[in-house]
Amino acid sequence: MSTDKNFHLDEDQLLWAVVEETELPLPLQEHLSACPQCRTNKERFERDLARLGQMAKRFAPSPRGRVSLPEEKPRGSMGWLWGWRAYASATVAAALVVIVVWSFPMFRDTPGDNGDMLAREMQETEQFMAEVSMLVENALPPVYLDISAESSADFDDEFIQFVVPSVEEESLSYDPGKRGALSC
Amino acid sequence: MPKMAQKEYHARKPDTSDIAALVEQAREGNRAAFERLVGMFQGDIFRMAYYRTHSSMDAEDLTQEVFMQAFKSLPRLKAAERFRGWLFKIALNRVRDFNRRGRFRALFSTLDDTDKVDQSYEETRDRPAEALDSLMVKDFWKQIRLFTDKLPRMEKEVFVLRFMDHLSIKEISQVLRKNESTVKTHLYRSIKKFKKGHSIRRLLQEGTA
Repeated sequence: MSTDKNFHLDEDQLLWAVVEETELPLPLQEHLSACPQCRTNKERFERDLARLGQMAKRFAPSPRGRVSLPEEKPRGSMGWLWGWRAYASATVAAALVVIVVWSFPMFRDTPGDNGDMLAREMQETEQFMAEVSMLVENALPPVYLDISAESSADFDDEFIQFVVPSVEEESLSYDPGKRGALSC
Repeated sequence: MPKMAQKEYHARKPDTSDIAALVEQAREGNRAAFERLVGMFQGDIFRMAYYRTHSSMDAEDLTQEVFMQAFKSLPRLKAAERFRGWLFKIALNRVRDFNRRGRFRALFSTLDDTDKVDQSYEETRDRPAEALDSLMVKDFWKQIRLFTDKLPRMEKEVFVLRFMDHLSIKEISQVLRKNESTVKTHLYRSIKKFKKGHSIRRLLQEGTA
């Protein structure tokens, strides 16, 4: 095939040769290297593509300024030492803050203060429980006691019996066997 | 690829081993080494952003962002010899974010694509007198956009990375996280369309006439 002067690579084969010559089968590669016409066709097309890149580069503007990188940190070969110092300073600062806060009277509780506070709380609790007991005895406020007559309730059992007779006595009047005796 | 064309693609590339050595130094905290890397790649990254945004101001901002991110993330780069591809990957992600934001902004804007081409023209018009005719510059970017905008996303990205950003197929596969045969297939499809694009090819031939 490679020696046949009438044979030439078709368009697809030429395009594959432009993409990557090794993509062609070996006989076609041999033909391409031996045939001046196919070689010229391929090179002409490659020149167009190369020209495209050249023109694009030439017609594109140039960057105006240089890229600026972030500021360099003040670290050299002793960089680790800077890091260690920073950690130490932060620890000391935190410790100072804790000490100052702890020594401030508002945040400090002494044992004597604790005892007084406990006694005060117990007293308040007792007072509160007394109020609760009074309410259990009589939940009505003093203003309403007169209306309800609870404040002067000195009626004896005889009076109560008179107003509300017990069930046993009343049931006698309804006994059908003794009805005549009672009515007589 | 003929030797002459290969030279055009690779002569401008700094030596890979030098780059790897600088990356190693930069990773150990050598700021000067990183600044040298910036000097080597700032132009490439700026143009890469410009080809995709068509605005030199946006490309400037994106370039700054790319190198800032690279500076922070450099300790995470495993293979120093892949620095270039890694940098382009960061750049591509930044450009995608930028375009996403742009699409959102476009919902509230009346600026269309034609205005965008004109904007790039305005920027290139201020270039020195030795630059080619400004109308040709305008026409060039317009044709480039007309051609690349017609391509599917992946074909467009592979084409631009290969022929405008000058990345190798291996680097493109690294940047796009696709295997090399997939990249080659996309490349083949895109150059097939490029071959049929008569207006852009005519423009290229006029440009060197």
